[in-house]
Amino acid sequence: MPESDRERLIRQYAAGEVTWHTLRERGFEDYVQVLGALGELGLRPPIAPMEGPNVETRRRGRAIIREALKARS
Amino acid sequence: MSHPFSLIVTDTSPLFTLVLADALDALLRPGLAVSIPDAVYIEATRVHGAPGAEQIVEWINAHLDAVRIIPTDIGIDQQRRLEEGRSIRGLGEQAAIETLERFLRSDAAAEALLLLEDTDVEKRRAIVDERVSLISTGDFLRELEAARLIQSADFILDQAAAQGRNVERQRAAVTDPTTRERLRGQLQRRDTPGQGR
Repeated sequence: MPESDRERLIRQYAAGEVTWHTLRERGFEDYVQVLGALGELGLRPPIAPMEGPNVETRRRGRAIIREALKARS
Repeated sequence: MSHPFSLIVTDTSPLFTLVLADALDALLRPGLAVSIPDAVYIEATRVHGAPGAEQIVEWINAHLDAVRIIPTDIGIDQQRRLEEGRSIRGLGEQAAIETLERFLRSDAAAEALLLLEDTDVEKRRAIVDERVSLISTGDFLRELEAARLIQSADFILDQAAAQGRNVERQRAAVTDPTTRERLRGQLQRRDTPGQGR
């Protein structure tokens, strides 16, 4: 993959515009490559906003972790 | 929790992010049983000397009371494909689905929490079952941050990217023909008596 395409994809990934699934399909072999490419550009992996098709199940997931952490404190 | 509950790691990305940030122990903070499907584990650790691979193996071995590698049929297929030199792309995710199905079948009250990569969980519809919840690496870190168990989610993600950059530079140096040639020259000089000291 040309370097310019690779950089564009990584910038799109950091902005949450393309998925890790897409990066794999476009030739990134493992997530270490993705982290490395992000690091080269001074970017970090994105944190997904609470949007999209899985919002309810994600909210439930966060609540489970919150409760589990509370129970151990 | 009185019923069976498991945190299932569905992909290598949370493992690589946390191991490169030296934060794998974060996975244990909630005190939930952690399940890693065999195909995910193999994908993360199969290359000897690969970044993070050794630490992941050591970490699992140090926490066998809390972390389990789950054997799957997909994992067997993965082994066969590796032996035949075929692609194993996507098998980790399939193994995670198999792991989830087996776990839910094992007990009618069993519940699972799937750990996924952020962009995938935001944009791709995941399995919907009332006994299954989802969490992304970022969501997970945000909860630890809110509970003051880590400095910040952003700090861990920055650390992972910075370490990933170092690893990729090392990989590039090893595969770059000019660098390889220079290394070969240095080794040859060392082999020549009276030189390379």
